[in-house]
Order: sequence, then structure tokens, then C-alpha cells
Amino acid sequence: MTGSIDLGLNVLDHQLLDSENRRCGKVDDLALEGGPGEALELVAILCGPGVWRARAGLIGRAAAWLGGGGRVRIPWEDVAGVGSHVKLRKRAEELGLGRGDDRLRPYLEKIPGADR
Amino acid sequence: MKIFQVALGILAAIGGFVDIGDLVFNVSAGATFGYQLLWVVVIGVVGIVVYSEMCGRVAAVSGKAVFDAVRERVGFKAGLAALVSSQVVNLMTLTAEIGGVAICLQLLSGLPYRWLIVIAGVALLVVVWVTAFEWIERIFGYGGLCLLVFAVAAVKLHPAWGSVGHGFVPHMSTQSPLLYAYFAVGLLGAAMTPYEVYFYSSGGVEERWGPKDLKLNKVNAMIGYGLGGFLSFALMITGGALFLEKGIQPEFLGTITLGAEVPLGQIGLLLALVGILFAVSGAAIDTLFSGAYNLAQFLGWEWGRYRHPRGAPRFTVTWAVLLVLALGLVMTGVDPVQLTEYAVIFSAVALPLTYVPIFLVANDRTYMREYTNGRLANVLGLLYLVVIVIIALTAIPLMILTNVGQN
Repeated sequence: MTGSIDLGLNVLDHQLLDSENRRCGKVDDLALEGGPGEALELVAILCGPGVWRARAGLIGRAAAWLGGGGRVRIPWEDVAGVGSHVKLRKRAEELGLGRGDDRLRPYLEKIPGADR
Repeated sequence: MKIFQVALGILAAIGGFVDIGDLVFNVSAGATFGYQLLWVVVIGVVGIVVYSEMCGRVAAVSGKAVFDAVRERVGFKAGLAALVSSQVVNLMTLTAEIGGVAICLQLLSGLPYRWLIVIAGVALLVVVWVTAFEWIERIFGYGGLCLLVFAVAAVKLHPAWGSVGHGFVPHMSTQSPLLYAYFAVGLLGAAMTPYEVYFYSSGGVEERWGPKDLKLNKVNAMIGYGLGGFLSFALMITGGALFLEKGIQPEFLGTITLGAEVPLGQIGLLLALVGILFAVSGAAIDTLFSGAYNLAQFLGWEWGRYRHPRGAPRFTVTWAVLLVLALGLVMTGVDPVQLTEYAVIFSAVALPLTYVPIFLVANDRTYMREYTNGRLANVLGLLYLVVIVIIALTAIPLMILTNVGQN
């Protein structure tokens, strides 16, 4: 990655793609570290319903509750690139992302025609 | 060969343009005001052409569908508000379309309505589950072309062509300007229903459009939606030529088919019913998927109608749940035609939440590189944003003041 990235415009709320180009969530929030007067460092992407609570007041809290409140922290080192999407270096399963799809898949596979 | 395929796509788009909202609003507007409101349909059709071209271009250049763009541009909070409102409107529309399907089946078969709701639901589920999407689009699009019977009917009813022509010039001669405004807002809402752009842009992303497809996108949007608008004219003219003089307000879907039956007899009735059945079923499938697209895109799930259900499990479950919810709502006995009116009016309120972010993204170089809006798209786009905001602000007050168009 060269040049500068506008975190608010080019990272936050963008699509996460894992190493196999699977859609596995959105950049729901960013974790920055560094005290006042120090250089801030972006350390992780935060993802999951638990993060929504802080982002949209009452309806955010309601959505977080509906979504089960889970959260996943993806270290910034695991980000491979920022373009139209945020591309990750690892597979979704390794990072704990896309679990809802993985949990539902076995049930759907039992229905005939699910892999037409 | 390529031209042949484009032509097929366009035919399907024309057949797929009309949904229950267009049927209800165009025919009732004709029955209430004759041909006076034809000019509003033109404005609505140009609006959907402008914005679907923009959404298609955003999809082709940035690979982002509407709700990806919405969330990235306006953030989580406003995006969530847009999502919730569009999902509510979508579910209302879906419910109305399924009710419409059941009514058509009832008129064709004479079986009890509640049974037919279940049959319609199961049929939609099976069609969506087992049929490849290319075929879904074609089957329902071509079936919907039977609605062209209304164009023949419109001519056969010998409308006063002078007044039809005059209808394309904005004017108002009525004692009830509020009702006139209510119908104008409804016609615009019905023509520019947001689910059409959700569906269109998601399709573009799925078919992996790139900058080389921009011309195809333009042609699709202009001719497909443009000629679709032609069906709206035909519906309004039949409404004006037949119902206005007799003082009939078409409150039932069955009444609308009279527009084809009176001038053309049994065959007209049959074609009208089959056309409505296919058009409304196709619209039900579009709205069903739009609901699932929006949620999946907002939350970053896997999605896609061309994927195997196992490739996008949460997306699949979402549309299945939406179908069950809508079936439950139709079962409560709510009147689909009345629900359509509410759905169209509420969708008018939700319009800015969809179209404003799209307009911003289409002008953003970081997304669009050299393919940002040209001058024409920007002038029209801005004009329509003003129109959309006016519609959104006036829709509900007008609905209340006119007692949902009853006056």
C-alpha cells in the first residue's frame, strides 16, 4: 500500500473480502491506538453486531441485540490491500468471519436443488 | 447474435416494467382524471431511466451495488435508517404483489382466494429454487408482454386523441387539485419504485459488468424502461377511455381487466389476466430478491441470485423468510390493491434515501474514475433529486388529505 488512505471514506463501512474473495462482513469500526499528542496507529478492524451498538444510537443497539452482539477483531497486519474492497490475507474461517453462512450451509445442503 | 440477445433482454425488461403499483395507479389515474396525467408518467419514466443508468454505471465501474454504496457514502447510522425504511416498503410491495398473483389465479380458476395465496407462495418458492435466473427473467418478462393487449385495447376504445395528446402537456383542469397532486405523486412513486434500481444494480454486479458494458447499460435502461413506460400510457388511456365516462373507480384488480375485455372480448380478458399474472409474479420475485440483496449488501454477506443457495446461505434464508412473512401478511386478508397504494406512497417517502447516495457516488472520482456523471446525467440527476424530495415531503400529507385518493 502506497500513498495515503482516507480511513473514513475508503476503509470504514467497506466490504471485507477474504483471501479467497469470499464476502465476509463489513468494516464496522476501526481500532486506533495512541495517546493525546502521540502518533495514532491503526491496529485493527472491528466487525460484527457488537460493534454496531456504538455507531447508531438506539437503532444501533436494537440491531446489535437482534444480531446477537458478537464482535470480531482483525489485526491490521491481516489486511492485504485497500481498493474497492478491503482484501484480507487469510480465509474467513481463520479470522472468525462469515460464521453465520457457515452455520446455515449444512441445513441448506440437505434441501434438494441447493447446489443447482 | 449479440443484437438478438440485447433485443431479448429488452423485451423481458418491457414485460417486467409493470407491477401492481403501475397497474393500480395508472388505471385509477385514468379513471379519475382521464388523460390529464400522462405527462407525469413521462417524468417518472425519464427519472427511472436516469437513475437506473446511474446505478448500472456505478455497478459496472466500481463493482458496488446500491446498498454497498449507500452504507459507504452515508455511514452506518443513516444507512441503517435507509435499510429499515426500504425493507418495510419492500415487504409491503412484495405482499401486494403476492396478493395480486393470488387474485389473478382466482379470476382464472375460480378457486378460493386463501388457497390460492398458498399455491402462489409455493409456486414462487419452487420457481425461484429450481429455475436458473436467466430463465426466470425471460419467462416472466415475455409473459408480461401479454399486457400489450392494453395498447390494442386503448386504440380500440377510440379515445379522443386530441385530449390524449394534450395530456402530455402539463396542465390541470379539476375541482380537486389535492387529488390531482396525490395521483401525480403516486404515478411518480410507482414509476420510480426503488426496488427496480436495487435489483438492476445488483444484477449488474453479479453479471460482472465492466466499463465495456456501459453502452449496453445505457441501451437497457433507456429502451427497456422507456418502452415499459409505453405500457403505462396504454393503461392510463384505457382507464380514461372506459372508466372515466362510466364513472367507475377500479377498486379491484378484476376491474382493471375490463379495460381489455370491453373492447376485445374474452380473448382480451384472458390476455390481460395472463399478462398481469406474469408481470406481477415477476415483480414479486424482483422485490423478494431486492429485500435479500439490501440486507446482505448492508451487512457484507455473500449474496447473489446466480449463486447456488449453498453459496450464499444467509441471503437464501433472508428471501425465504421474506416470502413467508409476506404470505402471512396476505393471509390476514389485507386488500392488495389498497396495500399497493400505501406501498407506493411510502416508497415515495423512502426515495431520497436511495437516490441521494447513488448520485453522490456517481460523482465520486475515487469510485468512478473517468466514468463520473456527465453534464446531462448531473443536470437531470439534480432536477430529479429536487422532484424526489418534493414527492417525499408531500406524499404522506397528500395521502391523509385525500383519504388515500378517495377524497
